[in-house]
Amino acid sequence: MNMIRKLFIAGFAAAAVVGFSVSQSNAQERGGTLVMLVQPEPPTLASYVSTSGPVGQVATKVFDGLLEYDFDLEPQPSLAESWTVSDDGKTITFNLRQDVTFHDGEPFTSADVQFSIMDVLKQRHPRGPLTFKEVTEIETPDDHTAILHLANPAPYLLMGLSSYESPMIPKHIYGEGTLDDHPNANEPIGTGAFTFVEWRRGQYMRFDRNANYWKEGQPYLDRIVASFIPDSSTRTAALELEEAHIAGFGAVPYSDVNSLDALPHLEATTSGYQMQAPIVQLDFNTRREPFDNQKVRQAISYAIDRQFVIDNVWFGFGKAATGPISSVFAVTGMYTDDVREYNVENGQEIAEQLLDEAGYPRDDNGIRFSIVHDITPYGEEWQRYGEYTREALRNIGIEVRLRTEDVPTWLRRIYTDYDFDLTNNWIQTLADPVIGAHRLYHSDQIRPGTVFVNGSGWSSPETDELMDRAAIEVDQDRRNAIYHELQQKLVEAAPYVWVHELQFATVYNNNFQDLIVSPLGIYTSFSEAHQAQ
Amino acid sequence: VSSPIAVFRYLARRLLQAVPIILGIVVLNFLLLQLAPGDAADVLAGEAGSATPEYMEQLRRRFGLDQPVYVQLLLYVKNVITFNLGFSFRHNMPVLNLILDRLGPTLLLMLTTLVLSVGFGVLLGLLAAMRVHGWRDTLISITAIIAYATPLFWIGLMLILLFSITLRWFPASGMESVAAFHEGWDRVVDIAWHLVLPAVSLSLFYMALYTRLMRATVLEQQGKDYVVTARAKGLTESQVTFRHILRNAVLPVVTMAGIQVAGLLGGSVIIESVFGWPGLGLLAYQSLFARDFNLLLGIFFFSACLVVIVNLIVDLLYLLLDPRIELR
Repeated sequence: MNMIRKLFIAGFAAAAVVGFSVSQSNAQERGGTLVMLVQPEPPTLASYVSTSGPVGQVATKVFDGLLEYDFDLEPQPSLAESWTVSDDGKTITFNLRQDVTFHDGEPFTSADVQFSIMDVLKQRHPRGPLTFKEVTEIETPDDHTAILHLANPAPYLLMGLSSYESPMIPKHIYGEGTLDDHPNANEPIGTGAFTFVEWRRGQYMRFDRNANYWKEGQPYLDRIVASFIPDSSTRTAALELEEAHIAGFGAVPYSDVNSLDALPHLEATTSGYQMQAPIVQLDFNTRREPFDNQKVRQAISYAIDRQFVIDNVWFGFGKAATGPISSVFAVTGMYTDDVREYNVENGQEIAEQLLDEAGYPRDDNGIRFSIVHDITPYGEEWQRYGEYTREALRNIGIEVRLRTEDVPTWLRRIYTDYDFDLTNNWIQTLADPVIGAHRLYHSDQIRPGTVFVNGSGWSSPETDELMDRAAIEVDQDRRNAIYHELQQKLVEAAPYVWVHELQFATVYNNNFQDLIVSPLGIYTSFSEAHQAQ
Repeated sequence: VSSPIAVFRYLARRLLQAVPIILGIVVLNFLLLQLAPGDAADVLAGEAGSATPEYMEQLRRRFGLDQPVYVQLLLYVKNVITFNLGFSFRHNMPVLNLILDRLGPTLLLMLTTLVLSVGFGVLLGLLAAMRVHGWRDTLISITAIIAYATPLFWIGLMLILLFSITLRWFPASGMESVAAFHEGWDRVVDIAWHLVLPAVSLSLFYMALYTRLMRATVLEQQGKDYVVTARAKGLTESQVTFRHILRNAVLPVVTMAGIQVAGLLGGSVIIESVFGWPGLGLLAYQSLFARDFNLLLGIFFFSACLVVIVNLIVDLLYLLLDPRIELR
């Protein structure tokens, strides 16, 4: 509990500091080119049909969303000046700003909102069909009012309207022709702080200041260049040499973050990832012996020393996880740590006892059973984390063989063929459990061929029912109570081991300020960013 | 000496022969890639972090992945014959445009490397062989062995450490200064500046190879009858070396360089990755992991053509270097 209180305080302090510097920044002078490292090079700029990590980092400079968010995860005005939700939760009315134009000079209107949500996001976006599932119709009584009519209340919907998650795109451009190979897919036109200039593949993308941006005086920077450097050591060198000024997510290896932070011109922060809320896990295949047995799963959960993993594999960047919902949701009251506690001193003893009870005694060689452990192919940490898991499980009498494959092969194995015992993994739990967490636990999310859903095969009418209720509960307190119960039930059943809440590091040149001003971090417009004076 | 008509005929025949070879390569590549598990839709959805089943199905339909393999193959071959390399769904761009974008930087790095490594390789090899077992020979041979044995990525990183981070003489990454947007001559100078480290790193390795090859062939040639004859005619030692030995000894080096052009494409993946050089090797590497097979097949097709052309050029170079060789 103490830990959480500390985090709270840290969160408030961070929010306060940011709030302070924002209010100070009103008189910022213009100028400067910011070079941001983006890794890997985005496959496309069409953020309305792709949520690939690096796409968000570049497309959010060009597109705005209806809303933005503060560090308390509260919605803030953006293209929507204000909004009201009806008492039954089935009607949401957005009042749009009247002074917004797209980069081609055309005004932004409610027709664009209708088009973006109904014709594009709800149809073509990887997560949009889920976010806008309940939206049946969007009414546009005038150019600056958009009324969303819902079949059922959708309390999570207001969390999914950022420029990263649901960009607003011009109907008069993207409504022409087909979306698949639209000529503006990679030459985007939005309302955002920066206009797209060019994309030299393999090298850089260039975005210039939008002089007609609707935020008074912003953006301050003249230009943003996204630079692509495939080698991590070279990226580190580029930051050191000031050839580049900011890098986030995994672009700087954890092993280099602290040494870069120590340089006078560079700073590191872990803020700005609150709306990603990634959790590092071990996924069981609950269809198969021995992981169809709850006691075996619990035993493995007891055997993992969370802090050891954080300190030794992730260079200290992480916080022990307690369950399926990240502690960043503490600010909304959704999170609870009042669940079965696996991260205990005598975890190994309890694990051995549970395995005995489950009917898996040690044989003459001290081995209970053997499994294959798959490694998520997203970088070195996962290999080392796998090696740790192998040793931790060997201590409780489980023999583990590690298997490493490339990304498509691994995805196929875990999410289509279900041909695995145990894999390490990480999941972004995003801005709301309905959008982020449900897909891992609901039985209707066992969907062969769809990646990062319920690959574990966990299925329980009890937890399904809780999630169904939470999805449509409008009252925040009642909704929180449902989620508390869900966390307790899931943690007890242990279809996954929730190891730690992953912290990403953003390293930036302190010649630039006000870069990270929202829980979406580098997935925002950088309109407030400016050079130090 | 072969007449221009004979050369032309020879060229035409060789190019005609290349067609079935390249088609064979295309089919073989296509079939080999089918062995890789997982597809482009898996990867795209994997990067997205999440996707609905409808989205996945829609992707597969768009990519043509819902068709049987033989239909996909026939379609592809048909397209290649009409010089249509297809569309990269991942990049949302025609494959040809993607490749042409990268061809310039690739050729720039490749040709610079080729010139540097063959030039210095021949020179150093000759120097070493002229005074065998002297201090110069020992120095050159040891340097060559070290350069040959050192991993490319390590050479690259060490050059960055020394010349970029410590001395600040050269930039660490990219092909040009991304924030500056130079134009005209400034841009040429800027690119040349960025080219130095990657070209030197890549050249070191190949230079070592050519140095050793050159040294060995020069030594071999020195004992030949024509050298004795030349000396007997009263030519000076340098005349013997440059007019007679050099010309004969350089043939194996040219052959080797021709073969290695293909390897140069592959070897440059590492250098392109370390220095952020926007070349074809890196694009191929990335598209393999993205299962972007249209793009990958397109690159393979280009490389196959490149190898055929370079080999043809090498064969013609023989004619220049050694007039005794005749076309058949």
